[in-house]
Amino acid sequence: MIQYFESAHLDARECFHKLARISLHPDNDEIGCIGQYPVALPLKTRKGLFGEVMSGMFTEAYKFIGEHEWVIPVFLFRNHEDAGQYIYTLNRDPDRKREVLGRKGDDFIAIVVDQEGNVNRFIAGEAKWRGSWTKSVLDTVMLGPKSGPEGEKVHNNKGVWHEVNRALAVPLGLEQLHTILHECEPDKYASVIASLDRILAHRNPDPVERTDLILLAGGPAKKRKKATSLIPWKDVPFEYEAGRDLQIVEMIIEDGDDVINTIYGGLWAKVAADASI
Amino acid sequence: MPAFDAQRVELAAAIQNDLALEGVLSSLQARSFVRCMQTTWDVEVIRWSDDDSQTTLDQARHLIRAGKILFSVEGGDPARAALAFRRAAELLEWLARSRDTIGSDIPTALFAAGCYQLGDLPAMASGLLRQVSSDDRGSRLFADFLKADFDGVLRKAARFWDKNKKLTEPGSEARYFGASTRESSAWFSTVELVRCIGLASQSLRRGDFQRFGVALDRLRDVERLLVRTAPDDVATLAFFLRSTCERFGKATIYEPMRRLADLNPDRSADANAFARRQYARGRGILWQAQKQGIDRLLSDSSFALCTPTGSGKTLVANLAILKELLVLEKTDGYHAPLALYVVPSRALAGEVEAKLGTELGREFLITGLYGGSDWGITDAWLTSETPTVLIATVEKADALMRYLGPILLARLKLLIVDEAHQVVVENNERERESLAEHTNRAIRLESFISRLLTRKPDIVRIALTAVAGGAANPVARWIESDDEAEPVGSYYRSTRQALGVLEVSAGSPRIELDRLNDQPLTVRGVGSIYIPLRISPMPQPASTIRNSLNHFTQNTILWTALHLSDDDRRILISISQAPERTMGWYADAFDLPGWEDIPSFAPPEDGREAELFAEARSVCLDYCGKESFEYRLLDRGIATNHGQMPQRLRRMMVALIDRSICRITVATATLTEGVNLPFDMIFLPSLKRTFFDVARQRRSEYPMSTSEFRNLSGRAGRPGAAKGMEGLTLVALPLAPSTTAQGTLSTQRKQVRERQAEYEDLLRRLNNDAHGESNHESPLAVLLSAIREQAMRLPGIDDDDDFFNWLEATAPYDVSDLVGQASPTAEARLADSLDELDSLILSAIEEAQTIGGVATTAAGAEEMLASLWQKTFTRVSVAREAWMEEAFVKRGYGVVETVYPDADERKRLYDYGYSPHVGRRFGKTAMTLHTILEETESYGGLDEGHRFAVFVSLGEVVAHDGGFGFSVRDTEMGRALYENWPQVLAWWMMVSDAEAPEPQDLRAWQIFVSDNLEFRLGVAIGAVVARAWSEGSDDPLDTPTLDTWKDVTKLPWFAFWAKELLRWGTLEPFVAFALSMGLAKSRSEAAGMRDGFLEWLAADMEGADTAEDQIDPRRFLKWSRSIRPERKHVARRRPIPAELSGTDGRLGRYSVIPIRSPNRIRWLDASGYRLAVSEIPEDFPAGTLQTNDYDLVIDDTATTVIRTF
Repeated sequence: MIQYFESAHLDARECFHKLARISLHPDNDEIGCIGQYPVALPLKTRKGLFGEVMSGMFTEAYKFIGEHEWVIPVFLFRNHEDAGQYIYTLNRDPDRKREVLGRKGDDFIAIVVDQEGNVNRFIAGEAKWRGSWTKSVLDTVMLGPKSGPEGEKVHNNKGVWHEVNRALAVPLGLEQLHTILHECEPDKYASVIASLDRILAHRNPDPVERTDLILLAGGPAKKRKKATSLIPWKDVPFEYEAGRDLQIVEMIIEDGDDVINTIYGGLWAKVAADASI
Repeated sequence: MPAFDAQRVELAAAIQNDLALEGVLSSLQARSFVRCMQTTWDVEVIRWSDDDSQTTLDQARHLIRAGKILFSVEGGDPARAALAFRRAAELLEWLARSRDTIGSDIPTALFAAGCYQLGDLPAMASGLLRQVSSDDRGSRLFADFLKADFDGVLRKAARFWDKNKKLTEPGSEARYFGASTRESSAWFSTVELVRCIGLASQSLRRGDFQRFGVALDRLRDVERLLVRTAPDDVATLAFFLRSTCERFGKATIYEPMRRLADLNPDRSADANAFARRQYARGRGILWQAQKQGIDRLLSDSSFALCTPTGSGKTLVANLAILKELLVLEKTDGYHAPLALYVVPSRALAGEVEAKLGTELGREFLITGLYGGSDWGITDAWLTSETPTVLIATVEKADALMRYLGPILLARLKLLIVDEAHQVVVENNERERESLAEHTNRAIRLESFISRLLTRKPDIVRIALTAVAGGAANPVARWIESDDEAEPVGSYYRSTRQALGVLEVSAGSPRIELDRLNDQPLTVRGVGSIYIPLRISPMPQPASTIRNSLNHFTQNTILWTALHLSDDDRRILISISQAPERTMGWYADAFDLPGWEDIPSFAPPEDGREAELFAEARSVCLDYCGKESFEYRLLDRGIATNHGQMPQRLRRMMVALIDRSICRITVATATLTEGVNLPFDMIFLPSLKRTFFDVARQRRSEYPMSTSEFRNLSGRAGRPGAAKGMEGLTLVALPLAPSTTAQGTLSTQRKQVRERQAEYEDLLRRLNNDAHGESNHESPLAVLLSAIREQAMRLPGIDDDDDFFNWLEATAPYDVSDLVGQASPTAEARLADSLDELDSLILSAIEEAQTIGGVATTAAGAEEMLASLWQKTFTRVSVAREAWMEEAFVKRGYGVVETVYPDADERKRLYDYGYSPHVGRRFGKTAMTLHTILEETESYGGLDEGHRFAVFVSLGEVVAHDGGFGFSVRDTEMGRALYENWPQVLAWWMMVSDAEAPEPQDLRAWQIFVSDNLEFRLGVAIGAVVARAWSEGSDDPLDTPTLDTWKDVTKLPWFAFWAKELLRWGTLEPFVAFALSMGLAKSRSEAAGMRDGFLEWLAADMEGADTAEDQIDPRRFLKWSRSIRPERKHVARRRPIPAELSGTDGRLGRYSVIPIRSPNRIRWLDASGYRLAVSEIPEDFPAGTLQTNDYDLVIDDTATTVIRTF
């Protein structure tokens, strides 16, 4: 696990650490600080990251619908916080709604590359962590929070189902994936980069298919019986209207917070130990 | 080249080709533009769906991606990348300005600005961001950066650090990455962005390349982080910030300034100071055309820069001055180097002088030479040891050459020719007429520059032109004296320009748009684009007005303009015929029934604007009178301007327009030909020009040329105007007759059809122009062809040999004894044309002798003219024909050998400055004038009546000659003025109780004054004085000074002033002096100051002053120095004692910005780290502006902060 998590976070860690190490302070031999990403992150943030990494691990390790061979060129960790919230307002605690809302992207993206090096399928979707997956928590996640007059509240249909149903075949965030591939491994991914260009083309884009992934992770409801799923699995749920391949993964673990803290506490432990010697 | 790159480039190029062809909008794109225009104009918008918005946004995204690939992938094409970015920018801009709801998902305006930057249209970026502002502080900070407003960035960054003091401590990174951090990494990227943008802004404006590099590297790293951790809109924003920052680094003016300083390290402080001042004016980042020009300037010296108006040509000229006169020049202490800046009009001379004065006034003496005396009212520039820039019209430059040729050329290092395309002419009857009448400006320019280059071939010269296409190439070849030369320049428009129609009818006015940026504009399936204006229809006027379709149309324009100017628009109504009639109509319109409720004008109440307006009113009252249309319109907030307006008043009017005090201007083309004044809208009541043929005494109409139209419409579009980014040029077209009178209905129907046809003809000609080169002729070629054509009709001239022989042997007088008297006969026209040619040749011959020091022989003249031919514009223009050179050279032989064989006479004719035959006829008159001038020794002591009598006597000598005398139009008014010219003179010279013109006659009087009193009488007096100087001076290198002037010319001071007095319209030299030195604004104000002078004089001379002393310019100057307020003691910038905080000061010197709190100043590095604190000095500027530079200096004795800019 630790090894997988370390590899998933490596790219982002390098970015953070470079920024931490060097400071813009004019005394340029003034060193910034030694980074502790993602080890030093608070639990809330860790949970978000955990879901994304687990999505990747499941995608690579399990046979998902269609039995495709999934590749994760790089992990994007875009949605554990709304960076735009700060950037547009320059405010640490914005008390006012900002003008630009930004679009929510897909949390996690993996691709299938054919023998010619063309990308022909994506998997993308949503990962949600909840401490206790009760029925009402599940409904809120999948169907959106309730609203309406007291006593007549109904789900507002702004939940995961809505997001998945309206998602485009080409996931949001693909451009960022594209940018990173171009930046980090232009030769290794040359064919993938060119293929992504064609998929994003304005006219006659290359056809591409999408598998929707929903990962529900976290603690069980008190009354949960073993081997029961949160969402019925024999038939396609009627709420799902996108008509594509749908893969739902439920990951129920006791003491989830401890598990996450243990994993994140153990990342790069050797490096940290070495550094402290 | 990585595999697949070719494929990627191909794909990107296909996207650009599909969505962003230059000048071609798809139907959706055009609709998007129309929607944006309609939103801007607050009228009902076309049908538009969310899908349309989404598709438009998708197109923009595709184009941005394509732009990135074309720009960065090997084998790409940066030019095509720019096209892709530009269209993406437009699409995003139109969404933003349409207030599309998609703007709540992504910051469309910021993205558009980023795209404009990457598309090399930085002014569009600023223009848009000035209009579309955000409530969010971050968005506003990034907007400042994307529009290169670095002072603004620093002000906002300072506010950020003030709010987040903890972040200014060193090591604040640990808050994010330390073992127990609870801070958000997304907040961290925000903080780092502010650090990078702040530091980049500061190091750009200070030219600190090292720190800029650090900031940019950091910005790249922050972008990398945001690509991984932020939503795609934030990642895209980071991309635009970083890539714009990279562009700034490449386009900073410090870069070429450092290269310039490399040529002479002693001057690097000057170079840096110049660059810093450019940043202070918001011009530190060079635009593409400027970069190209400056690159050429640094690599080799002479070139032609061709780029549209408003793209920053002046900066290139300034750098050329800096390079040639300061950096390369080692002043020998005796002959300070000189640059000559040739401008097409006196009005432009004023504008250029003001601009250069503020930018280069510290290092150079800048002088506009307005004085009526040919070398200016003071001799300061002649004797100064400071490098000097002379700004002059070609006529003035020509006079300088005659007067001061040797000394001028000895000092001259640099020639700048502004609007150099004005050397180009069309080969038509009008041009031929103006050549025969010696009034053609193009040939003056060709003649002057060709002669100058012949005398000084190694002089550095730069031509500036706004006209691309056919004319630019020959201009480049000419100015560089190189047949292979090509103009430097690029497509660049700082605004978008639309052309259309203002539909005039009984209903509300409506706008139809037909062209956009020189391309036809229609929407498929919709056809023409209309903007119905929300203006109530003009109240139906009385039949007297309706019976003139022109009157009705022009009133409708005013009605429309008055309602539109309410919205901060600056509007020009450009009149091509009879401006006084339009002004009269407009002055009266305000009293028409139904006009009571039009938006009224509120004059500025305080501050500089109120002063300016009051000044303008008093000048207008002074020169035009209370009842004049000009004065009445000014009180309605309408500025007027035409060519015959007195110079002082014109400059005031321009100032009122420039500062938007008057939102509506009624003017002739002289305004837009002269000064660079942008308008939001231009209305044209007519597309016809009137041409008054003096020789034939008739008025004829001709269609406005496309080049004139382009020049005019090029003034439409004010970057950064509050509303709209489109400059609109609208031709007013009546849709139907306005009359109900049966008798005039059919005439008006015909007029409606004609106006429509004229407009369609204009569109057709503009289209043709866009698709091919127009014919560009040279003035000398047109003149030679006209002479040959007419000579060939003479008996005995059948072929070129006959023609050449004729040229060698024929004097103008041999062709017609009516030569030089504006006679319309064919022979006289031929003789006059020949005289015009002789003018050029004789000048060249005399200059070869006086400047080149070669005694004139016929053979020598031929040789010299053959070499001069090589320098003419004609030689490089398309109009050149093989026989021309020979004809030119043969005529030179004829001039010396046959026509003007007497060397003394040639010298005299040259000194006069007339065409030689006119000069010969002038000889006798000159002697009489000279006698009058010589005898007016007591002018200073004369009373008004006697002073006036002197001018009348001067006028009488000149008035009645057909050549150099007063020109008279064969109209009732023309004849009346000619007969009563002393009355006009009396009014003009402000003689007490002189009768003033009726308002409707004012312009005719002004025309008479400017044509005959200022110009013709002034030129005659100037010629006599110049001749007197030349005769009295032995040494051609003699510098005329006020001290020697009287001794050399043997004339009284009156002769020095006479021309100047005619120019200002006063009998009192002191008034002319005070006006020309800018000491007084109006004649009455100047007159009021005279008593003070006389008092001072009496004291200075201890009561022994004579009449001559009272008008001695040296006394005026001494007096003016005595009243100059003593310069306020400028507090020296004292170092501010400071205490280090956040650094140990190891670097010794840090660049810092102040953050002022109630009790102290914290001094921060621009990246937000605190370095020192200090008390607040008493004289420290209040407020939060970040316009100054400060250094924190640590040495052995103290730690202080000093202001460095």
